[in-house]
Amino acid sequence: MKKILSFILGAVVALNLSISVANAAAKEVRIAFFLEWPTPNQEDKVKKLFDKALGVPVKWTNFSNGGAMTDAMLAGDIDISYSQGLVPFINAVKSKAPLKLVDVAMEYGMGGTTCVTSKASGITKANASELEGKKVAVPLGTMAEYVFDESMKVVGANKSKMTIIQMDPEEGAAAIVAGDVVMACLFGGNSIKAALTVGTRLLTVQEARDAGIKGIDITSVTDKFMKENPGMLKTFIEVTHEANARYAAGKSDLNVIAKDAEMSVGDMKETLGGFVFLNAADTKKSMESGGNLDGFLKGMGTPNGAVDTSFLPL
Amino acid sequence: MITGITTFLIIFAVVGAILYGRKLAKNEKLDAVFGNPERAKGGAHWIIVGTSFLLLTWLYYSWDLAKSFYPQSANELCQVAKVNDSLLSLKYLFPIVEREFKSTSIIKNENRNIEKLANEIKNSPNVKDQDKNKLLIFIEKTKKTIPLLTNEKLLENETKNKIRELTNRITWLTEDFQKIDYPPIKSIEEENKRIEALKIQGGWGSSGTAVENTIEIPTIPETKKGLKFDAAAKDLTLISEDFFKLRNHNSQYKVLIKEIKDDIKKYRSELGESEEVASALAKDVLKIARRIEYGSIFPPNTLDAMEQSIVEFDQVQKKEQGSLRLVDIFLFPSGTIISSGPNCSEQGSGRWLPKPSDTLKKFALILKPSVGFKNIPLIWYEMMDVSKIVGFIMPDWLADIIPGKYPVHSADGTVKPNFKSKVLNVVTGEFKLFKIPVPMGHIWDSFLRVFLGLTLGIIFGVPLGLFMGLNRFAKGFFDPLIELYRPVPPLAWAPLVITVFGIDNIGKVFLLFMVSFSIMIISARAGASGTQLSKIHASHSLGASKWQILRYVIFPNSLPEILTGVRVAVGMCWGTLVAAEFLAGTTGIGFVENVAKKYFQYEVIWITIFVMGMLGLLFDVVLRKIIEKTIPWHGKG
Repeated sequence: MKKILSFILGAVVALNLSISVANAAAKEVRIAFFLEWPTPNQEDKVKKLFDKALGVPVKWTNFSNGGAMTDAMLAGDIDISYSQGLVPFINAVKSKAPLKLVDVAMEYGMGGTTCVTSKASGITKANASELEGKKVAVPLGTMAEYVFDESMKVVGANKSKMTIIQMDPEEGAAAIVAGDVVMACLFGGNSIKAALTVGTRLLTVQEARDAGIKGIDITSVTDKFMKENPGMLKTFIEVTHEANARYAAGKSDLNVIAKDAEMSVGDMKETLGGFVFLNAADTKKSMESGGNLDGFLKGMGTPNGAVDTSFLPL
Repeated sequence: MITGITTFLIIFAVVGAILYGRKLAKNEKLDAVFGNPERAKGGAHWIIVGTSFLLLTWLYYSWDLAKSFYPQSANELCQVAKVNDSLLSLKYLFPIVEREFKSTSIIKNENRNIEKLANEIKNSPNVKDQDKNKLLIFIEKTKKTIPLLTNEKLLENETKNKIRELTNRITWLTEDFQKIDYPPIKSIEEENKRIEALKIQGGWGSSGTAVENTIEIPTIPETKKGLKFDAAAKDLTLISEDFFKLRNHNSQYKVLIKEIKDDIKKYRSELGESEEVASALAKDVLKIARRIEYGSIFPPNTLDAMEQSIVEFDQVQKKEQGSLRLVDIFLFPSGTIISSGPNCSEQGSGRWLPKPSDTLKKFALILKPSVGFKNIPLIWYEMMDVSKIVGFIMPDWLADIIPGKYPVHSADGTVKPNFKSKVLNVVTGEFKLFKIPVPMGHIWDSFLRVFLGLTLGIIFGVPLGLFMGLNRFAKGFFDPLIELYRPVPPLAWAPLVITVFGIDNIGKVFLLFMVSFSIMIISARAGASGTQLSKIHASHSLGASKWQILRYVIFPNSLPEILTGVRVAVGMCWGTLVAAEFLAGTTGIGFVENVAKKYFQYEVIWITIFVMGMLGLLFDVVLRKIIEKTIPWHGKG
């Protein structure tokens, strides 16, 4: 009896002590990014320019969706998430995660995130209400879900009458190819390309732009890293903006970016071409009240105080 | 309130059960030796203790105890967290939470980087010697900027005064903070505003009216203590901001850094297209110089007074927390409430382990058929016409083989049904009979999948297993097939099965069938081959036919093995089902959990875990009853 009690007490004490042992000043910076999602700063990543600019080694880890990025940040394995989708970030902040939005990575039309209907089903924008009662694959809790919601409003289909299947983009692409679903909403160049072999975009890039459906990817950071290494965070954002400026000037090494994104140069150029990289001033405008990002955040009921513009290189 | 009462009830139950157990042990005259199963019989009171311990652990680590006994504590701790949050940036400068001064670690790091870069320049094959020399001069100059920042004699008076002023502000705040009348009373309007805001502000805990997450911790200070910390946090934030605006750049340093910047700029502009490497290296030097420029580096002892004042404030604020600190330590195990911007949140076990009270509230909410999860109830019923069942059972080709043709529309644009089309309506279920309620919903779907997979596995697996145990051909013929697929973890098949059979129920049921099939074969085969030969001989000599031997000797003999197999298969099926529903699902418990995870709805995740545990338990209890009924002789031989 005594042994059992002391064991239980010991376990309680051990659990309570394991709170989170403070790690010493950042010996490395851990950054999350997406594959199949080319960005100009990947050139800096490959050429180790981030390591030089930050003065410590930078470790890059790729993720398949923004929710997983949040999980890793909360578990203390990632410091900065670059180009996390806004929707996963909002979900995280709504669920009390101590994260901050510090930069807009890019805005994009439906080039990078889109819904594809299969040709076999014969469903297009004109008869989209036929989607009702059928199966559609949507990666829930990501930007693609937002695009799905908005697209359904545009084409006038009732999404509550559809059978929504939770599938990550790669699986969604496989499901539409196999004919299991009539529509798949996806992000990522290779997945969209695979889906387009058997389907067409529900809304073309132009149509989506006209309807005001716009994706925003952001840079998010853990509160802890932000407080501890504000200088590094600022440098990271600065280098990223420099890379964007270099891309805008046509001086980026596209081969390097394509290889790092694990895409062919042609596909990569197409995807990258759909991205709009804002300069620091425009980013700030977007993040402040009345801006694009701010409107998006408010529209989705995000709690206040999740945005910090003080790290932008202005 | 209810949680508090429950807690006391649990504690009484534990104490009572333990006392009862000890009394029982004293009075019991049991001559059973160690190893006798009699010693493990009974003991319902220990079940109470075990369950109570689980519940207490849950209540404790989800911080529900804190919530029920000190409902204000979250709000007050939120204000404390605000203070900590505002101090954090300053604290990181000193060896308070870190091992060394931030200045020290920056200098250490940059000296290392300077050396590394110098080596890189020296060894770079693509840079001309004269460029190398120039770059090394830049590096040397950059290195010289550090002593300019760390020399106390060079520290400018203005900077010194500013540091002194900030230190004083912290010291004053420390003094004020201890006074009873801190914070000074604000204007009545502001106070009224706060009271108004308090009325709208909800309590601690998640909402019971929406599945979505809502902010759980009230942030506006509700108590006097809270107000105190809230006000101090605001002051400290201002102090911290002022400090980080401060730059320790004396005139000598400013001259040197400007020189470095200008030189490098000039140098890079003079370089030709072919000397990209040198240009990049020069840029790297500049980056180091700029990191040092923005790195808040101060001479070794300049900030001592400030560090002291921060440490003192920290001690005072800890003392001012009073009993709250004890609540924090003992009732908020493995984590606490932290502040992030204007919001506070639970970080630690309280975040991912939802409170029992909240979980029950959410469970009650999503049990409502009108709410459900993703528009589908957890478990409910719908009215279904019996005709659908008829249509499902009758094959459609029955209508096709009836002589005649399906009706063709007539000239006046109407269609007249004939006998053939009426038959078609019957076999496809297109008619109205009476309606019966059938269950539906996430739980039912999961249950049905497991049940179907298991039943199919038993129907096909048991006969084949018996056959394999009795027949040389069957054993040899089916063995390779079974033994090849059986050891593979069922989930390894999942992607393939889902590709072949689609994401509908068929794929999932087939996967579960595969799981239970192999287990049933193995157990039936073992049962059949384990039958005592003497029993078979006895029945044979009494004139039993082959069928009779199988039915009355071999089958009952293998029943214990088969039923154990079923119990194992149920467990395996549940495990596989949830993972299969993770992969591609529209309904089912696994689907609910997977989607809840995407939205970080920890309450829902835990609800699904409990539901799965309960359903698994239900299956097992039913099976145990079946085992008791069908093989009462088992274990008594």
